[in-house]
Amino acid sequence: MNSHDQFRELIEAYALGSLDSADRALIEAHLASGCAECAKALEEARWLVSQLAYLAPNAKPSDMLKGRLLQTVRAEAAGPVRQETVRGGIPWWLWLGVAALLLFSVYSAWNEQHLRSTVANLQQQAEAQRIERQKLEEQLRVAKLQAHEAMIWMDPKSVKIMLPPKDPKMPQLEAMWHPELGLCVRGWKVPSPGDNRVLQLWLIPKAGGKPMPSVTFWPDASGTFSAMVENPPDAMSATQALAITEEPIGGSSQPTSAPMWVGGVS
Amino acid sequence: MFLAVFSTKGNDEVSPDATLMQQLLRKDVSAFEELYERHSRIVYSLVLRILRQGSTAEEVVQDVFLQLWRNSSRYDTSRPFVPWLLTLARNRALDHLRLKSERQRRREDQTEEFPQIASAAPEYEKALDEGRRAERVRALIGSLPAAQKKAIELAYFEGLSHSEIAAALNEPLGTVKSWIRHGLMRLKEGLQATS
Repeated sequence: MNSHDQFRELIEAYALGSLDSADRALIEAHLASGCAECAKALEEARWLVSQLAYLAPNAKPSDMLKGRLLQTVRAEAAGPVRQETVRGGIPWWLWLGVAALLLFSVYSAWNEQHLRSTVANLQQQAEAQRIERQKLEEQLRVAKLQAHEAMIWMDPKSVKIMLPPKDPKMPQLEAMWHPELGLCVRGWKVPSPGDNRVLQLWLIPKAGGKPMPSVTFWPDASGTFSAMVENPPDAMSATQALAITEEPIGGSSQPTSAPMWVGGVS
Repeated sequence: MFLAVFSTKGNDEVSPDATLMQQLLRKDVSAFEELYERHSRIVYSLVLRILRQGSTAEEVVQDVFLQLWRNSSRYDTSRPFVPWLLTLARNRALDHLRLKSERQRRREDQTEEFPQIASAAPEYEKALDEGRRAERVRALIGSLPAAQKKAIELAYFEGLSHSEIAAALNEPLGTVKSWIRHGLMRLKEGLQATS
């Protein structure tokens, strides 16, 4: 196998984004050298990788999302209305003015080019700032969530709830319920649910009613998760137990499988 | 099947999606609405599969479609639209996932504002319409051994690297590399075989 073949073998994984940094640096250096064959293979690999999206189970976004988007888009389309001034013809006795106008037009054309370039730069800067702001907002949201969770776990008013597994091979989970701040559940070394499945939390009412559906969540590759319910559907005093089941992606309105973890709320 | 609205187009034809994207340049709201109707379900399905939380997935889908609206001039109408849109949505969702879990690595160079995608789809794209191709992709990947399929899903839907996948599946790194490459080759050959 020659060196070109070795690079060629990395193309699909590069398009997928799964190469480790050393391999990625190698293929990027090779592509930068101008290898037309690998560049063409990369284009096709990117198309191929995009087809993996069809492995996602079919799901439909809420009508509210469409409503929100159209509201935003219509408002932006309306925008500020430009007033066009209709010019009349130039009177014959204003030839001198016309000459001046021609000179001014030449200057304007140059100036317009200059302004376009400036506007393009400003637009690029504004777009970069918008992206940066979005990232910062997301970081802030995650930080707030983590701080909120930390308060629930540390506040003495919180009540700890252990959730032993039904299957002794599974790890025990734990939850903390604060009367005002909400409910937080976490676990470690939790196996991934099956394909297209998630874990879902349920609140079992004392009155013997139906289990109340709550958040869905998914452990990361190391089996760790932390799920928070800021506004539990029922008060702690009205809840007999917490349970966790495996459900289809998106969650269920009532349990479709046996509880994998159950913990009594004292 | 919602994907059936897509139709096969040759590379030299202007696709309905490209026409709609051109209309977005004139801030045509009805063109935007039609694009949303045509593609929101597959985009949402993909983003939900990556993020697994409906409310967060909708935020990301909203961001993706607003980018189409605000930056439609950045789309090259000679390029296949749907793969481009799916790549954009995947990048956005993985960025979100990465921020959440603070996994700052690997994909930094690939998360451009607008993704690179093939300037032309391969010839065998024409053989099947989108709906049938989606079914074919599912069947081809579904026929792989479970661990190989899982490796590809971890790479595509969770943005994990080869070594992270090897650790998650407790398999040798070389095995994971081979699984992913051969799985994608099998997908390519399977799609080519229908042409």
